[in-house]
Amino acid sequence: MNEKNINEKNNTSTSLILGRFKNETWVQQMWADPLGKAGIIILVAVILISIIGPIVFPFDSKAGDSVEGVFRPPSSVHWLGTDDMGRDIFRATLTGAQVSLFVGLTASAISIIVGAIVGLLSGYYFGFGSNLSMRVTDFFFVLPVLPLIIVLASIFGQNIYITILVIGLTSWPSTARIVRSQVLSIREYKFIERIKSLGATDFRIIFAHILPNVMPLIYSNTVLVIAGAILAEATLAFLGLGDPVRVSWGTMLHYAFVSGAAGRQAWWYLLPPGIGIVLVVLSFTLTGHTLDKILNPRLRDY
Amino acid sequence: MFKVRYVIKKIGFLFITLFSVLTFNFFLFRILPGDPLRLIARAGNLSSDSIARLNELFGLNQPKWMQYLIYLKNLATGQFGTSITFRRPVIEILQERLLNTAILLTLATIIVVAIGVGAGAIAATRRGSRLDNVFVVTSMVCWSLPTFWAGLILIILLGVSLSFFPIAGISTPGMIYFSSWDRIMDFARHLVLPTITLIIVDMAQFFMITRSALVDVLTTDYIHTAKAKGLSKNRILWKHAFPNALLPIVTATAVYVSLLIGGAIQVETVFSFPGMGKLMYDAVLRRDYPILEASFFIFAVFTILANFISDVIYMIIDPRVKNV
Amino acid sequence: MFSNSKLLFDKLLVLCLIFTIVICGCSQGAQSQTIDKETLRIGWTSEPDTLNPLTTISTEALQVLGLVYEPLLAYGTNLETIYKLAESYTYSDDGLVVTYKLRSGVKWHDGEPFTSEDVVSTYNLIKDTGIGQYYQYMEFLEDVSGPDDLTVVMTFSEPQAFNMAQAVLILPKHIWGEMTAEEIEMFSNDAPIGTGAFTFSEWRQGSTVTLKRFDDYYGEPAGPGQIIFVLYGNEDVMAQALKGNEIDIITEVSPLVWEGLQNTENIKAVSLPSFSFHHIGINVCGDETSLGNPFLKDKAVRQALSYALDREQLVNIALAGHGSPGASIIPAGMMEWQYIPDEQMDADLDKANELLDEAGYMDTNEDGIREKNGVPLVFRIMAIESTTVDVRAVQLFRDSAKKAGIKLELSTVDENTLAGVVYNVDAPDWDLFVWGWDSDYPDPGYLLGVPLTSQIGNNNDVFYSNPEYDALYSQQSTEVDRAKRKIVTDEMQKIFYEDAPYLVMWYQDKLQAYRTDTWTGWEETPGGIIYNVTYENYKNVQPIQ
Repeated sequence: MNEKNINEKNNTSTSLILGRFKNETWVQQMWADPLGKAGIIILVAVILISIIGPIVFPFDSKAGDSVEGVFRPPSSVHWLGTDDMGRDIFRATLTGAQVSLFVGLTASAISIIVGAIVGLLSGYYFGFGSNLSMRVTDFFFVLPVLPLIIVLASIFGQNIYITILVIGLTSWPSTARIVRSQVLSIREYKFIERIKSLGATDFRIIFAHILPNVMPLIYSNTVLVIAGAILAEATLAFLGLGDPVRVSWGTMLHYAFVSGAAGRQAWWYLLPPGIGIVLVVLSFTLTGHTLDKILNPRLRDY
Repeated sequence: MFKVRYVIKKIGFLFITLFSVLTFNFFLFRILPGDPLRLIARAGNLSSDSIARLNELFGLNQPKWMQYLIYLKNLATGQFGTSITFRRPVIEILQERLLNTAILLTLATIIVVAIGVGAGAIAATRRGSRLDNVFVVTSMVCWSLPTFWAGLILIILLGVSLSFFPIAGISTPGMIYFSSWDRIMDFARHLVLPTITLIIVDMAQFFMITRSALVDVLTTDYIHTAKAKGLSKNRILWKHAFPNALLPIVTATAVYVSLLIGGAIQVETVFSFPGMGKLMYDAVLRRDYPILEASFFIFAVFTILANFISDVIYMIIDPRVKNV
Repeated sequence: MFSNSKLLFDKLLVLCLIFTIVICGCSQGAQSQTIDKETLRIGWTSEPDTLNPLTTISTEALQVLGLVYEPLLAYGTNLETIYKLAESYTYSDDGLVVTYKLRSGVKWHDGEPFTSEDVVSTYNLIKDTGIGQYYQYMEFLEDVSGPDDLTVVMTFSEPQAFNMAQAVLILPKHIWGEMTAEEIEMFSNDAPIGTGAFTFSEWRQGSTVTLKRFDDYYGEPAGPGQIIFVLYGNEDVMAQALKGNEIDIITEVSPLVWEGLQNTENIKAVSLPSFSFHHIGINVCGDETSLGNPFLKDKAVRQALSYALDREQLVNIALAGHGSPGASIIPAGMMEWQYIPDEQMDADLDKANELLDEAGYMDTNEDGIREKNGVPLVFRIMAIESTTVDVRAVQLFRDSAKKAGIKLELSTVDENTLAGVVYNVDAPDWDLFVWGWDSDYPDPGYLLGVPLTSQIGNNNDVFYSNPEYDALYSQQSTEVDRAKRKIVTDEMQKIFYEDAPYLVMWYQDKLQAYRTDTWTGWEETPGGIIYNVTYENYKNVQPIQ
């Protein structure tokens, strides 16, 4: 990309953030794209369901009273049947949505904030501090994610806050790296020099000028991070390292697996949580893909 | 010339990173709560003499720094220590597991790259068409699948209901092999489901990266100029588009390795596949420090090497990189 | 559009085609598999830790080793005593000296002849090094000697209620005789040589263990020509394998998986009484350093907890009905040894509330939780994450305890962490846990010995210390007369039950299943067809032609 293009892009995206480009148009653009539309619909639907669902159909985590009640197929009483403790799966799925989303979003928030700050600072500054933080970032980047998450979760315990922390702390490097490499190129641009010579402070430069240009990247990265966090929580829970007190989609699948749902062909136990995960992650992926297209004008050129 | 310096610098960082992982590894596993010997004592009624002896053997009652030095010394001599659960050198336990996982992952990767890149190229060159949309949506759905869930569904569909393929292990118990070919085919049949699971989920990653990298390149002025100049489409794709698209693809490989390892752990658990992933998971449950360290280290080494190689390739391909 | 990408497309299509052909080819292979009918295929979900009988702690390892090695005496399919390497034995009048007459013509798997020297060497090795689970039975063993090649004399200082000759596997002197303690600890015994009906063939780690019939065996040749133990990562998958005729029998599964095997063609699912129980352990450590909740040292609180627990509900929900409510620490499988209390401290919330009221724990601030001196009755309880039945049980217990005004804070951990926390003798920082015990042998001695004062730091996980109980234990372990011994063991169980440091939840059934169309002759022994103290079933079954 030559500098002319970059400045163009720079202006477009800066204005994105500074509001000259109206937000409605941005959303409208997403809406216009079929994939984007699908993504938004699914995402909104899932969020609404996760908020309203458990209120309208509260989940009773107390076990059923009789043996006959377990692994019942869907019926008019239990719309999605019962699980290995005789509990209603439909309601469990609704509550599980809340937990999975909560973990995914919170962990991502931590990850992105930490990642963005580290990326910005280590990209902008020269010298020891920057090199060191880059080394640390690279170090955590090359650690294989799932093994690290497994080990950390088993050290520090299995409750929901640990899970959030663990996932958050293992996914920030990717954001940091992306941000950093973008900052590296941006800080060379003439306009930065101009602003510096006008006497702007580092803080202002970083957060008022560089950050806006990095935002588009952060946005598309955010979406991927959230998707990854939700998958990570599900995987951890499935492997038995999740919070046993709470019902999340991952823990539902864990108990389904160990109690023999597959063998009993209790598809009603295995499908809903899995489909839930797929839908949520998919909605973020679709949104992200479309966001990419919007923020990178050239990709719209077909 | 600076490229050589660059490579040397990268190698230097490689060793520093490896060393940091070693140290990180060591401390991480030493702060785990839980004492494996207690569990052994309970179940096995060990005399307190036995317990004292075991503590000494595994160096568990020495100060941390002492343990650290022992650890380093052992690694230098190629020893990964002795497993607390199995009471035999970790190396021995790792060998066959490594081989199994390596076969699984290599097979999966070859197919993933072939399909991912191939489909990515097709989709990129036909972007906007219905085919492209189908590919994109399919791959996004696949990417969103939790690997373990995909495995579970495959078990039900192909293993239980239809019984096409074995759903566990790497060999059929009690089978008589009339030739090596029989043995290989048996192993291959057991590989099918785990490999397909990995492929379904991981191919999407490669597909998306290839497609977006290619699309990125194919929409530049440069390519438009080439088209206008009348160069053949094939030539444009292979001689001009692809080389430029390789950069992001190569960078993505490093991330892919981490994904692959995570996938291996899940797939091996669901399909009872005796590989590194399952070994590591079992070792976490039993607090078998030596196995944990060794397997975590191996996974880390692979990821680091993959990053290193992709960095070097990146540097070779990208003329713009001057200093990092 | 690029028309030459059509070429690419074609190439891709070809690739897919090749792939599909390969897969179909593979599945064709399925039909032409030949399975050896004389191979007994057994499924389990955990594999041995080592093949060294002195250092192993795994039940799976013992299953394998019990087929490769033999003791002097063993258990038959009705748990009766049968002769193995000893063909007869006699007690001296005072019961302190046992003389065993050994079988002649017995060979080790490597061809060496078996003599009394092997027996003497084995016992002395264990006694001198103190290694392994057999050592706990040797407290009163004074001397073992072999006056001639076929005679072994064991001398004790006290009569033994449990004859360890039924347990101790005999090891070859020509391999083990000269080993030091350190060597034994590190010996992996990769090629075990024993005298049993099966020889060791191979162990593919993470996959299978294979044994072959020993053709020079002194006894009846075994039915199976080969035995393969197959490892599955998950019980459900193992059950599928049984249904799919990939294995012939499984070692044990949990209730829900077992239910799925009912009413399946060619499969018989059995439920047998077992020698184990699951319990809630209460921290009753008397030291000041203990960080357990001091309210638990009050017997009234413990008994109230017991009354609050509805064991029938636990059995129905957590175990899906496959077990019986528990009381004493001697399980139902041990039949006559079990003490059944007249008054069961079970499922009586009124009584629980009454006990707590009388002891002064009142809910003064109406928050649903009782307090004393301003401190609420809140206890931490830990369970092992991977033991699903325990996790379910503790969730149910939490709901019940609430109705008695007690709050339980639940956490689940892995087994090793639980062990580390519970067995911390310096400062045990826990209140309650859920765990279980398995008796290695159908003799009450092992389980009764768990809560001994001397076992604190070892098996005694609740720090129970009662001199009266300890004295009774010594008494019963040297009482050879069954009737007299029962009086003592009953007394012990009563004391322990009423003190309630353990709340025994249930005695679960041993749930197993086997195919009816591949092998015949499985005898349904209490404790399990296989995966039990008797190994006779492995040898007696015959393939169906």
